[in-house]
Amino acid sequence: MIQLQTLRKVFGQRVALAGLDLHVPRGVIFGLLGHNGAGKSTTIGLLLGQVWPTAGEVRVCGHDVLTHRALALARVGAIFEAPVFYDYLSGWRNLEILASYSAPTASARIREVVAGVGLTGREHSLVRTYSHGMRARLALAQALLPAPELLILDEPTNGLDPEGIHEMRETIRRLHAEFGLTILLSSHLLSEVQHLCTRIAVLHQGRKVFDGTLAEATRTRDRVRLDTDDFPAAVAELQRATLVSGSDEAGFLTLTPGTTTAALVKALVERDFPVHSVAREETTLEHFYLSLVKRTPPAP
Amino acid sequence: MFLLQLKHELWKLFGKKRTYIGFGAFLFAQLAVILLFRYTKATMAIRRALEGGGYPADDFLTAGTIATQVVLPIAFLLLPLYVALVGGDLVAKETEDGTMRMILARPISRLRLLTLKWLAGALFSFALSLLLGGFGWLLASLWFPQGGLFSLQFDGGGPAGGFAVFGAAEGAWRYAAAHVLLATKAITVLSLAFLFSCFNMKPAAATILALSVLFANVIFMNIPWFADYKSWFLTHHLNLWQWMFLQTPPGARMAESLSLLVGFNATFFVVGAAAFQVRDLKS
Repeated sequence: MIQLQTLRKVFGQRVALAGLDLHVPRGVIFGLLGHNGAGKSTTIGLLLGQVWPTAGEVRVCGHDVLTHRALALARVGAIFEAPVFYDYLSGWRNLEILASYSAPTASARIREVVAGVGLTGREHSLVRTYSHGMRARLALAQALLPAPELLILDEPTNGLDPEGIHEMRETIRRLHAEFGLTILLSSHLLSEVQHLCTRIAVLHQGRKVFDGTLAEATRTRDRVRLDTDDFPAAVAELQRATLVSGSDEAGFLTLTPGTTTAALVKALVERDFPVHSVAREETTLEHFYLSLVKRTPPAP
Repeated sequence: MFLLQLKHELWKLFGKKRTYIGFGAFLFAQLAVILLFRYTKATMAIRRALEGGGYPADDFLTAGTIATQVVLPIAFLLLPLYVALVGGDLVAKETEDGTMRMILARPISRLRLLTLKWLAGALFSFALSLLLGGFGWLLASLWFPQGGLFSLQFDGGGPAGGFAVFGAAEGAWRYAAAHVLLATKAITVLSLAFLFSCFNMKPAAATILALSVLFANVIFMNIPWFADYKSWFLTHHLNLWQWMFLQTPPGARMAESLSLLVGFNATFFVVGAAAFQVRDLKS
């Protein structure tokens, strides 16, 4: 759905993106994580043809955004943080105006989308009378009007109260489940990404420092929790076999480099240790993210 | 589709209260000047000029004459100010507010969007010029009778000496045609502000820059030593509407000025569009 190849963007002397490669498959909720200034908004700007790349290629829905922007964005909806509208016009008029930049849109379609986001009854009020939550819903409505295949959400819950955040998350889940939308969610809120996304990419100082599933991100590679009858004896045996380099009282083993869980289980079974369970240690996305951004050197 | 999008641009433009500041200010200024003519001795100078030329003053101290006198200062100062205000807003305000990013998340090209915006602005300028003329005549009719039209003669922004008089029908026709031509001034000033609005700057800065260019033109044009180079200045051509009040309008010079204004407008649009096209739009 989205394909970025060696994408580079330089603003003056500042490198905003340093050769980003990214593939967002169809049908996933993909999280784009990073600090402020990591390159998330630049990436979204490049996807929408609002920012010109210094080098590289941007393809959305199979079309090159630089050369065939209209085709690429025909079925794309986007929401930016702090949604802004023409406050002096009604919500309905705003939707009519914004929809007309994509394609002629029937009133029935606008009505349907307004009902879908729960704005029925307030659609003819001036936007200046809307609460922040209603603006967020209106933003969602305008993004859904062109019946998008891809929804780009840039910090969609910024400024919302807890109830609004919950509501927005549920709506995103529903849209994904009901319509199979591909969703690119840019956020620096790790909990939001952890709640919603199945795949993530982490940007740091214009570079991609991780790209994979959420499960991969939250699973440690070198620590497993072992449940066996005689844990100290098992540890001693495994250390003799140079499969494990250490352990702790909570039942965790630190594997030596190259040791797999399967090899560990095989060694235990061969030595007649009953294995009740073996599980890779799960880390939080926060730990994972911080470990990534702290060890990454700055972009050239 | 283009017309639907244009309709929506007009909704955006005419939905804003500040769009009507211009209309309101014009009405107020026109009313003030007309009342000054009515309740002071300002008409005495016109009367003397007419009688000195052998014309019956009462036939020409009319709504048309007063409306023509009213339009001169307004067209010189207020009209450029308000169209520059609207032109400066057209692109820069949307960029500043963030609605431009919402629009350009959609598959509309920047060139098409700018064309729509410029057209909406041009229609506003045209309407403003015609309403200025219409309301001027209408308000003057409340205190002055209908009849012939008297006008001082102007040439490219400055008095040309003498005056012209027209019968009722011709006077009305000249007055209407002058306001249609006045729209070319309004549209050109709007295009100038629109040009600056396409660059990365605040709406107020675009308006101020456009007005600065105009005022600089006026200053240079009025330095006596540059009298021979008047036609080099934009403001000289912006005043072509005044030639409709010359006894014999200079057709060839008007056509030349009109074609130059078309060229100025095209240049302002193309340069603005090129600047906007290469910009990165980012929050």
